[in-house]
Amino acid sequence: MATATAAPVDERIKNLGVTRQLLARPEIGALLGAVVVFAFFAVQSSVFRSGAGVANWLDPASTLGIMAIPVALLMIGGEFDLSAGVMVGTVGLTIGLLTGQYGMNTWGALVIALALALALGFFNGYLVVRTKLPSFIITLGTFLMLQGLNLGVTKAVTDTVQADAIDTAPAYRPAYDIFASTVSVGGVEFRVTILWWIALTALATWVLLRTRFGNWIFSVGGNVQAARSVGVPAARTKVVLFMTTAAGAWLVGTMSALRLTSIQANTGIGEELIYIVAAVIGGCLLTGGFGSAVGASLGALIFGMVQQGIVYLGWDSDWFKFFLGAMLLLAVFTNQFVRRLAEESRR
Amino acid sequence: MDDAATVSTPTPAVEQAAPLLRLSAVVKTFPGVRALDGVDLDVAAGEVHCLLGQNGAGKSTLIKVLAGVHRPDAGDIVWDGQPVTFPSPQASMRAGIATIYQELDLVDDLTVAENVFLGHEPRTAGFVHRGPGARRTREILAQLGHPEIPPGRLVGKLPAAAKQVVSMGRALSRRARLLVMDEPSAVLAHDEVANLFRVIRGLTAGGIAVVYISHRLEEIREIGDRVTVLKDGRTSAANLPAATTSTRELVGYMTGRSIEYVFPPRPPAPPVPQRPTEPTVSQGSVAAPVAPLLEVSGLGRSGEFADVSLTVHSGEIVGIAGLVGSGRSELLETVYGARRAHSGSVRLDGRVLRPGSVRAAVRAGIGMAPEERKSQALLLGEPVYRNVTLATFGRLARAGFTDAARERAEAARVTGELRLVPADVRRPVRTLSGGNQQKVVLARWLLRGGCAGTRLLLLDEPTRGVDVGARAELYGVIRRLADDGVGVLLVSSEVPEVLGLADRVLVMREGRVIHEAAASDLDEHAVLDLVMAGSLLSGAQAEGDLS
Ligand SMILES: Nc1ncnc2c1ncn2[C@@H]1O[C@H](COP(=O)(O)OP(=O)(O)OP(=O)(O)O)[C@@H](O)[C@H]1O
Ligand SMILES: [Mg+2]
Repeated sequence: MATATAAPVDERIKNLGVTRQLLARPEIGALLGAVVVFAFFAVQSSVFRSGAGVANWLDPASTLGIMAIPVALLMIGGEFDLSAGVMVGTVGLTIGLLTGQYGMNTWGALVIALALALALGFFNGYLVVRTKLPSFIITLGTFLMLQGLNLGVTKAVTDTVQADAIDTAPAYRPAYDIFASTVSVGGVEFRVTILWWIALTALATWVLLRTRFGNWIFSVGGNVQAARSVGVPAARTKVVLFMTTAAGAWLVGTMSALRLTSIQANTGIGEELIYIVAAVIGGCLLTGGFGSAVGASLGALIFGMVQQGIVYLGWDSDWFKFFLGAMLLLAVFTNQFVRRLAEESRR
Repeated sequence: MDDAATVSTPTPAVEQAAPLLRLSAVVKTFPGVRALDGVDLDVAAGEVHCLLGQNGAGKSTLIKVLAGVHRPDAGDIVWDGQPVTFPSPQASMRAGIATIYQELDLVDDLTVAENVFLGHEPRTAGFVHRGPGARRTREILAQLGHPEIPPGRLVGKLPAAAKQVVSMGRALSRRARLLVMDEPSAVLAHDEVANLFRVIRGLTAGGIAVVYISHRLEEIREIGDRVTVLKDGRTSAANLPAATTSTRELVGYMTGRSIEYVFPPRPPAPPVPQRPTEPTVSQGSVAAPVAPLLEVSGLGRSGEFADVSLTVHSGEIVGIAGLVGSGRSELLETVYGARRAHSGSVRLDGRVLRPGSVRAAVRAGIGMAPEERKSQALLLGEPVYRNVTLATFGRLARAGFTDAARERAEAARVTGELRLVPADVRRPVRTLSGGNQQKVVLARWLLRGGCAGTRLLLLDEPTRGVDVGARAELYGVIRRLADDGVGVLLVSSEVPEVLGLADRVLVMREGRVIHEAAASDLDEHAVLDLVMAGSLLSGAQAEGDLS
């Protein structure tokens, strides 16, 4: 022990200041972004900063966030799911057809849709860990298959491109109350989905940072070889992550089916990229092993604010995607800059 | 407990007790390679059992079979008297075998404590690991002599030696009965190795068995009880007493030849100061001061090293001795441009190199074999020849197309000189043994050095993990390069290597050059003394040498 204390303490194992530790957090860039975006719109639009306005932009942020969280976990675990968006449509259509067309009890339809979603997630995950092919390719396959299936089945059953009359099924009302209703806070109606979103952010953060499953997620994304060699069930971890994403798709699909009472056959297509965008804005690395659930939620929040904000400012909403793309670039630049700053400052 | 003392000494009683582990006739083939071809090994409780063998002999494969990473094709494993199979790493760990692999396998984005307990997280009430995990980690790190490593720090931010401590901590956290260490000393400096041995002695005194792999015979003599030698995937000798078996005998079992550190002769001093391509300059005068090839003046980076001035002449090998953490690697990386100097300058042939630019350094003719080869220097999935020809920058290309046949031939020539095993240069680097991967990195710069592209070669621990036989070859190749006019700046933790290979030696401590002398004027004892405490030679002498 005498030799150890005599050796000079390496810079890299000295205690770090709080600021430096904060700077190294993945979500710091998204937090800055969220503050800037909020300030930008809040200054220019009084509606944006009013209670009703807040409820309005939290609404799209919440459903996006509910998906962005599991997608972020999956990315930290080193995988992608391109079928996540269209799976929301699959769930919604399943519920829609079972209730609207066949008059099934809403709860029954929800359970069947959940089983279906989990099976799809398992299918994705199992194929990925079994074949060792990039999940990008595997889930691109399921994405296309589900897209065709959604349209084909819907047309075959309803002769149209949508499933409707969901609200005519038994037990619609209690299900609606849980998944799609609004809650009044100080006279402003907030979607219940916002509560779900906040709860899930907290849950995912806790899992990531406080449970061993969270460690496993980081380890399979960061160094799967190392994870395996110390006994982390890497394959199981990845399959569970795909199933978690599918469960997220079920939740969001349920929410929109019950809220809209009708679902289009093309629901969810293109959304998968938005989820990934939110996760990346929130600090997830495409290479895996790094990211946070809070970050993904902040990414979703930015998304919601921009989407509604440009409406309030009276801008042409056709430009929305342009702003979203610019936001993405800005966010990743900030993330990289901040991370480098944190690295540099220790030298 | 009182029989622990007798168990830990290498008396014949050890061999008579039923072994904790017995492997017999273990075979493991990979596509195209018979890595293990009938290995026998028995390990008793409380002993340090050393595994020796050349690069590619099958040592790492053997311990991976033990660890449940590879499934053997044939052979039996008897553990604690029971025949067993280890179908998975978990099974092996559950039986009480903990393994420290040759390649550090930690997760950079988890904390120290999380890495230590990854895969067997302490659980209170089903979840939560922070509290007990961090406390246990702190205890284990203290036991390892490193209480200063913070359990909450991300592993990616730690230096290499600290990472080694963490993977050792991970093995200890398992409370194993057999601890397998694959070249643990490779990333450790002298004092760290002493510390490691202290830990190992503590463990064996408690009845834990240790399988220890190293290419450094003097370590094996110091810590080992018995030695098993592998050659070409077979046990070529077993049950040798570690302390008394002669080097000649050990090397003989390993290679069938008898060599240890054979250093090539130095050219008659002083080293020829000018490049052979410029024979006009001051041929006659003996002591004429010739402009150095590399001139580093006042180089510094805060927190790493300060005010380093040194020169390397063409045709000269300059060695830097010092502890890990004394700033040697950082200095080399700064000269190479991988780190930006905060002060001072680097001149090659009198021209100042743009600071912080690897590109500028490489263009000027500097090559570097970094310390952490896996992450810094190799494309693991690519074949050997691609990795070797990587730095020739299209010299082997014709009309813009790379000429694969020629690339392979050139690569085969240099890797052959280094005795790469297996010799097939089309294999992906990933499938090579650890020592052979090092050879690939070195071959890259040797290839380039041979063709007047490289003027200065920076070598950071060039023989780490390279076996005794190939070392001699490597030393020969480095000296030949120098004879061809290349300047070499070499960092090594092995003092005999620095003294034997270099013409001139700099000693670094805590980021400063504290001594400089011709290698022939130093001996191992003096260097170690300088490195550790600097008590033998006073600071006054060091100042004089820095001018
Ligand atoms: N995954 C693999 N695929 C193919 N060949 C392999 C693989 N792993 C090891 N080998 C081959 O098996 C042989 C033994 O390798 P091993 O890593 O066990 O050597 P070693 O004794 O540990 O050498 P070193 O001292 O260099 O670490 C080598 O020829 C190596 O190329
Ligand atoms: Mg090895």
